Amino acid sequence: MLQVEALSVAYGGLRALSDVSLTVAEGEFVAIVGPNGAGKTTLFKTISGTVAPLMGRIRFAGRDLLAVPPAQRARLGIAHVPEGRQVFKSMTVMENLELGAYRPDARPAWRRNLERIFGLFPVLADRQDQLAGTLSGGEQQMLAIGRGLASSPKLLLLDEPSLGLAPTVADLIFESIEQIHRQDKLTTLLVEQRVVEALQSCDSGYVLETGRVVLQGPHDKLLADDRVRKAYLGM
Amino acid sequence: MQTQALVEDFFQALTAGILDGSIYGLMCVGLGLIFGVMRVINFAQGEFLMLGMYFTLYIATGLALTALLGPYAGPFVAVALAGLVLFAGGYLLHRYLVSRVTGTRAVGAEGEGHYAQLILTLGVALILQNGGLIVFGSTPQSLRTPLSSSAWEIGLPFGGSAAVLVNKARAVAFLVSIATTAGLFWFIHRSHLGKALRAAADNPEAAIYMGIDVDRAHRTAFGIGTGVTAVAGGLVATYYPFQPYVGLEFVIIMYAGVVLGGMGSILGAFWGGMTIGLVQQLSALVLPFQLQNVAIFAVFLLVVLVRPQGLYGRSVERT
Amino acid sequence: MSGLGARGRIAIPLAAIGIFAVAYAIASAYVTDQYYQLMLTLVLIWAVMGSSWNLLSGYAGLISFGHAAFFGLGAYTVTLLLTHFDVSPWFGIPAGALVGAVAAIVIGYPTFRLRGHYFALAMLAYPLALLYVFEWLGYQEVALPMKRIDPARYMQFSDYHVYTMLALGLLVAALLISLAVERSRFGMSLLAIKQNEPAAEAAGIDTLRWKMRALVLSGALAALAGGLYAVVLLVITPQTVFGMLTSAQALVVTLVGGVGTMWGPVIGAAILVPLSETLQARLGNVVPGIQGVVYGVAIILVILLAPEGVFWRVRDRLAPRARPGAREAARASTRPIADPAASTRAAADRAPILEVSDLSRSFGGLQAVEGVSFTVRRGAILGIIGPNGAGKTTLFNLLNGFLRPDRGRVVWEGRDLIGLKPNEICGLGVGRTFQVVRSFARMSVLQNVVVGALAAARSDSDAVEMARVALARVGLTDRAGASAGTLSNQELRLMELARAVAARPRLLLLDETLAGLGRQEVEEMIATIRSLAADGTTVVIIEHTMHAMVRLAEELLVLDHGRRLTVGSPAEVTRDPAVIEAYLGRKWVAAGAAG
Repeated sequence: MLQVEALSVAYGGLRALSDVSLTVAEGEFVAIVGPNGAGKTTLFKTISGTVAPLMGRIRFAGRDLLAVPPAQRARLGIAHVPEGRQVFKSMTVMENLELGAYRPDARPAWRRNLERIFGLFPVLADRQDQLAGTLSGGEQQMLAIGRGLASSPKLLLLDEPSLGLAPTVADLIFESIEQIHRQDKLTTLLVEQRVVEALQSCDSGYVLETGRVVLQGPHDKLLADDRVRKAYLGM
Repeated sequence: MQTQALVEDFFQALTAGILDGSIYGLMCVGLGLIFGVMRVINFAQGEFLMLGMYFTLYIATGLALTALLGPYAGPFVAVALAGLVLFAGGYLLHRYLVSRVTGTRAVGAEGEGHYAQLILTLGVALILQNGGLIVFGSTPQSLRTPLSSSAWEIGLPFGGSAAVLVNKARAVAFLVSIATTAGLFWFIHRSHLGKALRAAADNPEAAIYMGIDVDRAHRTAFGIGTGVTAVAGGLVATYYPFQPYVGLEFVIIMYAGVVLGGMGSILGAFWGGMTIGLVQQLSALVLPFQLQNVAIFAVFLLVVLVRPQGLYGRSVERT
Repeated sequence: MSGLGARGRIAIPLAAIGIFAVAYAIASAYVTDQYYQLMLTLVLIWAVMGSSWNLLSGYAGLISFGHAAFFGLGAYTVTLLLTHFDVSPWFGIPAGALVGAVAAIVIGYPTFRLRGHYFALAMLAYPLALLYVFEWLGYQEVALPMKRIDPARYMQFSDYHVYTMLALGLLVAALLISLAVERSRFGMSLLAIKQNEPAAEAAGIDTLRWKMRALVLSGALAALAGGLYAVVLLVITPQTVFGMLTSAQALVVTLVGGVGTMWGPVIGAAILVPLSETLQARLGNVVPGIQGVVYGVAIILVILLAPEGVFWRVRDRLAPRARPGAREAARASTRPIADPAASTRAAADRAPILEVSDLSRSFGGLQAVEGVSFTVRRGAILGIIGPNGAGKTTLFNLLNGFLRPDRGRVVWEGRDLIGLKPNEICGLGVGRTFQVVRSFARMSVLQNVVVGALAAARSDSDAVEMARVALARVGLTDRAGASAGTLSNQELRLMELARAVAARPRLLLLDETLAGLGRQEVEEMIATIRSLAADGTTVVIIEHTMHAMVRLAEELLVLDHGRRLTVGSPAEVTRDPAVIEAYLGRKWVAAGAAG
């Protein structure tokens, strides 16, 4: 469904990604791990269109994604749950979710999606009318994911969902992500610093370090590989 | 008798403050959308106010609306039309000029965005002000309606025969202001498009991920802001004379009101404008007329120095 | 290039000023029509006004919309002294300058607390307020009385050439002042403030003091312009001297001509004043507001097409900057050399020199740094690491004085740093680099580094010397004269490093110096940092690039969620289960233990 070929991106004068290639098949759950500054978020921004690459190609469901303007990419069915949640803080929980379903073809399934989101994250139903900015970190993350789901996406991009969250809350988030993938076979691309959580639920994984793919393979192989630890800690 | 005169004066000033304040409130709502929500500096906002006044005048007389719809409805329809014209004007201004100095494109430009916005819109203001002088002439104009020169007399429940005069044109303008503000509030908070606009202002990056055309949203919000202020101008025109330089008088009032009301809040901007109106009228009780505006500047400076987050409005940290 | 440490002697600009003055004087001698003579005078007066705006807004970057306040105060001082007290403008004009200076102090203290657009809006309020006040005082229109007896004593001349000469004299003075500012630490400090105010503070520059000085000088100069204006035009109204157009004119003239250079206002005035005055005269009856429209259009065109003004545009065309990175192939070939003055400090004595105890800071409900304590020995290299959001940058800001802690102490060489301002901390021997390097692209590398030495140097030439030494220490000597805009990324980092060491700090705080560099470049940076530490400089560095940190640092302090996790050698720390857990997650350790 998603194919990234030889992608190179420069960001603020520095090489953020060099010759990165990866594939996500339909229904697959792929994880990308790596230390801070490895370029994981830049990869997502390039897919979503807020950053333009120097070289390389991205194909989504057969079409050349780079030829599609950023605001239109969401309408193709790509849901990007950004790093740091990025909820609309001055708007209520419900309004945030409604905005997730902004694209016209998401409206018919709105009721059904809303039920599903509230089923996954009951706390959002409780806090429907609260301003998103007053939610806790974990609740905001749930909201961001819910907002992504509201658009009935074909591809879900999750950027560091555990960032800044306490371990127990992060665990909860990962369980929900796993559940979502299991229930709908939703094609999911997850970027994470927490290696085990990311790798244990995914089908295959890639390890990024300073903008390059240094390791890739099925998840069980990666979990047992000490080179992953080296990628993070340097020695 | 002395006390009665004082009481009358006080309540007259209070009434005037509320009536004028509501119009200031509407002006501030317009700027609040632009400066408060989008954080764009528009130095030419006062000129849009002025253009609102003139367009109302010319539409009302030029299209013979007063003849067609009668002297009561005519001017107010003209106000609405003027608002639409200046919505379009603001939209185009943003599309072709302002957008070049806002947002990510502006980073790296000299003056880092905000300065460039200030200076660019200063240029626009100069052109509109002086262009106005050329096109409209310097003679003060006004839009006289039968309402402008009649007033209701409202007796006060105390103080003997004390009464307050309420100018009819101002009173109608007050009602229209409240209605427009309420309408705008409803639009921004309840309508689909309004939510998209708020989202685009709150977090442009996330808005793109939702599929919102952020550029178009910013333009639309800017246009609404200028249109609303123009409507306020049109309302002022029904009871106050104006000339092409009138915008400058109101610029500080508008910024003071928005800052006072708390950035990011439409209703806050309205209350901020209302407060300024009250300050102005009540200060007239003790200060000579020319120094009223000085009192407003003093308030503005105080707010900006002491409590820049404003007095009203919700204070949720923006992304 | 101008500025402290510039190549080229001061004789060249001085000669240019002289030639300009003489040429202008000769040209004006040929003009016989009084109207054109007046225009020549006005060009000069507005050039002075523009110069005054330039001092504050061009050099320091504090955009002011209210210079009309000073202009008007100058004009009214002269006028009222003449009409009420029969004081000649020969005294009145300097008196006006004094009034302008005092007004600047009164306005400056409250207004400098504001930033950016709030500053500009507040500055706008002052002349408008004065306008209303003067109207209320009854000075709608004041004419200077004609003096029949001894007019020269009252600066009244029938021959307009004299006014042109007076104005020329004033402009020459303004240009000399601008030149003096540009070539001294005054100008450098203002430029540093404009470029990056926090970095300037961290480099030891007392930003408030310099801003005040700039405003006072600017106010006095604008008042002088206003005073002369009153004498020349003989009639003033609140609208003409305090009005928006006056402030706008000061701004436009400089903006069009060139911001931040002494010739800018002259160029701008020479272009705009004749243009608008002619249009006003020819078309003023038919199109009364033509002047304002012209200025408005000029502003918009300039800000979109040539935001820095004609002067810089032309200069850039004539002496094109090389593309950045063109020198990427040429590595910094000079080996870093030790600082001779520091060799005595490289003692075996490795006493603890920085002691941080129980440092804590929260923002709202979030505890960014909690109870962090550690000790650093003299000459050591300590790396601060931790996963994203661990509080590393907050910790630096606490050490550096940008943030005040909720509790805890930072003791440096026996002194508690808590409560001191960043520039004071710099004065105690602490230097810091910043992640985002903002350089003066048009100036040389040497000039950029001089900024770092200004606060510590006794004299301007001392500062230049210290800058040279700093460049040698990081191995950038052969690029000293190059324009900063041509540097590669690595060279920019080295320049930033040089700027931080120019004041010979004994503690160096490095903020992500290695981020985004390639392997080879990282090696070279590591070597450079090591050589700095070898001189006895203590280095504390935040970094994410772990493979570099483990090779550079002797000791690593690991932060997680604002707390100190552990301290130890790289080998210890990278195998420590708690650290692994922090980076890779709890389950990695568990999986490793099980598998």
